Amino acid sequence: MGTVRPDLVRALGLSGSVLLAGFTLWLYATTPTTMAEVTGGLASSAGMYRVDPVAFAEGLRFFRADQFAEARLVFERIDPARRDPLVQFYTAYSHYRQGWGRIANDDAQFELGLAALDRAEAVAPGRRIVVDDPDLGAPTSEELRVELVEGLRTDLSDFNPMGVVRKRK
Amino acid sequence: MNAGARAWRTAVLIPWMLFGVALVASLRVTLDGGLRIVPPPLSALVLALLILMLLIRSGQLQPATLVGGRQPALDRIAGSVALIALGWASAGVMALVIPEAGLPKLAGLVLVTALLANTLAASAGRVASLRALFVTCLAGFIVKFIVLDALFDPGRSLGGRLVTSILEGATLGGLRHEPWAPITGYLAFGILILYFLALSLLPRPSPPAIADGGHHAVEPHGLRHTAHLDR
Repeated sequence: MGTVRPDLVRALGLSGSVLLAGFTLWLYATTPTTMAEVTGGLASSAGMYRVDPVAFAEGLRFFRADQFAEARLVFERIDPARRDPLVQFYTAYSHYRQGWGRIANDDAQFELGLAALDRAEAVAPGRRIVVDDPDLGAPTSEELRVELVEGLRTDLSDFNPMGVVRKRK
Repeated sequence: MNAGARAWRTAVLIPWMLFGVALVASLRVTLDGGLRIVPPPLSALVLALLILMLLIRSGQLQPATLVGGRQPALDRIAGSVALIALGWASAGVMALVIPEAGLPKLAGLVLVTALLANTLAASAGRVASLRALFVTCLAGFIVKFIVLDALFDPGRSLGGRLVTSILEGATLGGLRHEPWAPITGYLAFGILILYFLALSLLPRPSPPAIADGGHHAVEPHGLRHTAHLDR
């Protein structure tokens, strides 16, 4: 202990202090709700967060077969930190499709969809997501947000009988 | 204390302990195992300022020993970081021991402010001030993590629910509390100990040389006391 130069000790102390303070501020800013989000967020900050593409394809298969709960289970497993924009976008989309109805929408599903879309946009480059998927009627985050927000709003157009012929995107 | 030991203490040990306190003091584990990050609110920052004033006034903290002009530049930077860490940790500890909602929060804020202001006004010595601060924090900890958690425990008995309902009715719904998982209480207790350990490590200037070569000095007003003994 006594053999280390004091300046070196001070430099080490300052580096550690900056790291600790930075980590605390990062926690304040991101407010993770699970330890998986903490570790995933750190890995994402270091550019080391990856989603298993094979498992993602499996989730997409469930999604396209309208098995939304199963799809979300896969998405949660492969993206525990909720830091992958594409996975979060499809999670939001699964809530939208599950909650969509000809006569009335399921508000709870739409709210979950909006929350997932918020997470997706928060981690997406440029805060925007565009998906090249012909199966999706709303392939951008803006279009999906409009669908979700309008689905949650109650106004006169909700009583238009022609609404029953509208299509799910 | 030699330069190496002083560097370890002021640049590594104290700031790391205090930043650790600030970090863990903002963590809460919810009853369902989730995590909640609670940054110190504005009221905790004000209380932290009061604590810093108290520590300086009592002589426990002497900023000149950390950022004084005679130390090397890197030493002063490390001292400044230690001071920032102390303020941050104090705010974290205050946010930790004061209840977070409703009437208990208001009562806790008023009581802790009054206790700190009282200790400050009393101009107590180093040890007495630390003791008063410790008792204040421990009292807050007991009220929040033992009394309120027991009152609002989701698994409490019918009698417990009845008592809580009566208290909530008597306070017109003002008695609110969010119980955390037991691990939060254990973490909070550890944090309190670590915080006071860091406070006790704060550097103080060496005592002046005693003229009579012994352990006693005579003050101008004739009171005789032990030079090394804290008030």
